[in-house]
Amino acid sequence: MSGFAFSERPLDLAAEHGRLADPACGGYASFEGWVRDFNDGRPVQRLEYEAYVELAVKEGERIVAEAIARFGVSHARCVHRVGDLALGELAVWVGVSAPHRGEAFAACRYIIDEVKHRVPIWKKEHYVDGDSGWVNCERCAAVTLDAAPGVAASAGHDPGHAHAHHHDAADAHAHADTPTTRPDRHPAGLRRPDYSRQVVLPEVGEAGQARIRRGRVLVIGAGGLGVPVLTYLAGAGVGALGVVDGDVLEPSNLHRQTLYRLEDAGRPKALLAAERLRALNPEVDVRAYVERADRERLPALAAGYDVLVDCSDNFTTRFVVNDVAVALGKPAVLASVYQYEGQLQVLKPGGACLRCVWPDAARDGVVGNCAEAGVLGPVPGVLGSLQALEVLKLLLGLTTPAEDAVILVDLATLESRRLRAHRAAGCAGACVRLPRAGGAETAVLEIDVDPLEAAASGEYVVVDLREPHEVLVEPLPGPHLHIPLDRLLDDPAQLDAGRRYLLVCARGQRSRAAAETLRGAGIAAAYSMRGGLSALRAR
Amino acid sequence: MTTVHVQYYAVLREQAGRSEERVETGAATPAALYEELRARHGLRLARAQLRVAVDGEFADWQAPLADGARVVFIPPVAGG
Repeated sequence: MSGFAFSERPLDLAAEHGRLADPACGGYASFEGWVRDFNDGRPVQRLEYEAYVELAVKEGERIVAEAIARFGVSHARCVHRVGDLALGELAVWVGVSAPHRGEAFAACRYIIDEVKHRVPIWKKEHYVDGDSGWVNCERCAAVTLDAAPGVAASAGHDPGHAHAHHHDAADAHAHADTPTTRPDRHPAGLRRPDYSRQVVLPEVGEAGQARIRRGRVLVIGAGGLGVPVLTYLAGAGVGALGVVDGDVLEPSNLHRQTLYRLEDAGRPKALLAAERLRALNPEVDVRAYVERADRERLPALAAGYDVLVDCSDNFTTRFVVNDVAVALGKPAVLASVYQYEGQLQVLKPGGACLRCVWPDAARDGVVGNCAEAGVLGPVPGVLGSLQALEVLKLLLGLTTPAEDAVILVDLATLESRRLRAHRAAGCAGACVRLPRAGGAETAVLEIDVDPLEAAASGEYVVVDLREPHEVLVEPLPGPHLHIPLDRLLDDPAQLDAGRRYLLVCARGQRSRAAAETLRGAGIAAAYSMRGGLSALRAR
Repeated sequence: MTTVHVQYYAVLREQAGRSEERVETGAATPAALYEELRARHGLRLARAQLRVAVDGEFADWQAPLADGARVVFIPPVAGG
């Protein structure tokens, strides 16, 4: 059975279904794309599909083979119609059978998405008003219009229709020029990704490149560390890249996050990154997740990937990534930076994890982040590049000294140091149980209260945790104590366990860490003012 | 007295005002050594927030400290 075929006649679905039947398979998933009655606001009457069959079949077969290898399904096939199709007719069909439903669904989705992007099929729409036009699919439109604006017009098609449009999976593809001048999505062969510079390495070769292509990597954080990780992995031809980041771009990010532009400020970084990476390498399947990687969400996201890369800027997320990697038995590459220094750690299942090194989970606010402590752009650039390198080593099966160790890099002195770490006894179990950052606890730890009102009500003693230089610049109004964080954590007993405290800092990170620590030290009613003084200013 | 080589990282380096030094000490453990240096340099991080490595390996705070040991104090860092 061939994996991909064209049909000039309506499909015999029962026969197609029968080809995939297998007593070893417990699941069958299929997708049907139908001809829709409108496109880009114009009512459509019928469609005409054309394909450059020789090339299209090769590419289609390649996609189906990739899906079988990547998801481990038993059988898969895709059939696309060519010729005249009426409204509601089946235009494309994908069927997959597998031992379990999960792989069947995933492979089915993969095949239709890839076919839409990669297989040279052209679509002519006939509109209700008698007009007609060849239309582009989103990605091809961008390439065509950029690369060869003259081609569409010279081929006699109405360039007015050669624009990007949103379509569902049914209305597959179209290109604005003729089949013979438009081989595939790499026009004129000039823009095909070329991995020759890495394939020539003895450690890579064609086999290694195939391993890289099969790799599915989830990157948590698209900032100073995430940008080099994503850029290098997309360039290397990693098969699938997921980008998780809930933040929007701020101009203060740009000195270290080189994938973005000033004009992008205010847009979600995950979407921006995905857009740039697709342009960098259209072969990579890039998925953007505009959300925070928390304990509830990350396990579901991580399930579809082989390697996790922590590029976050806070301990809470870093420990979540660690715990999810340990719980799911997936390798992870962690890094973090502080001013001119960085730390790098590669987790492999069964090896030392972040909690083996830091058994008392570090808390945000105790030591500075980039905003508070400052950083030069190339510092996360170097650490992120090291992370990208470690991911490639993992995919290629190369050994690394960053495993069961923490690599300390001091970029002020250009010295690095490897500190061996051992897996803590019973770590794997402990890591899964250890998390303390549950939702309920978070809810009662942080409160939205104005410190002036809190003090006036007599309900709380307000404590300003900031450093003296910060207080000078922006004094806290109203009655309060001033105890810088370090001094408070040194001696929590200076507070009265019988009173309620509202802890305040600049952005709410230090106060949250302090509230957590104080609770552990017996000050049960220690609360953090959510968002700190910057939240107060925003109100 | 033993002589050890001490290195500081991240916020500790800032607080100590140096990245490394040779120290003559009567301390028998990394814990005692840290408390001694904490008083001398006004280090503000509590021991519970740090890890110590001795001779290239993460070590227990109560492990014996040998003459000539290379001791590294490391706070966790979060930036990205």
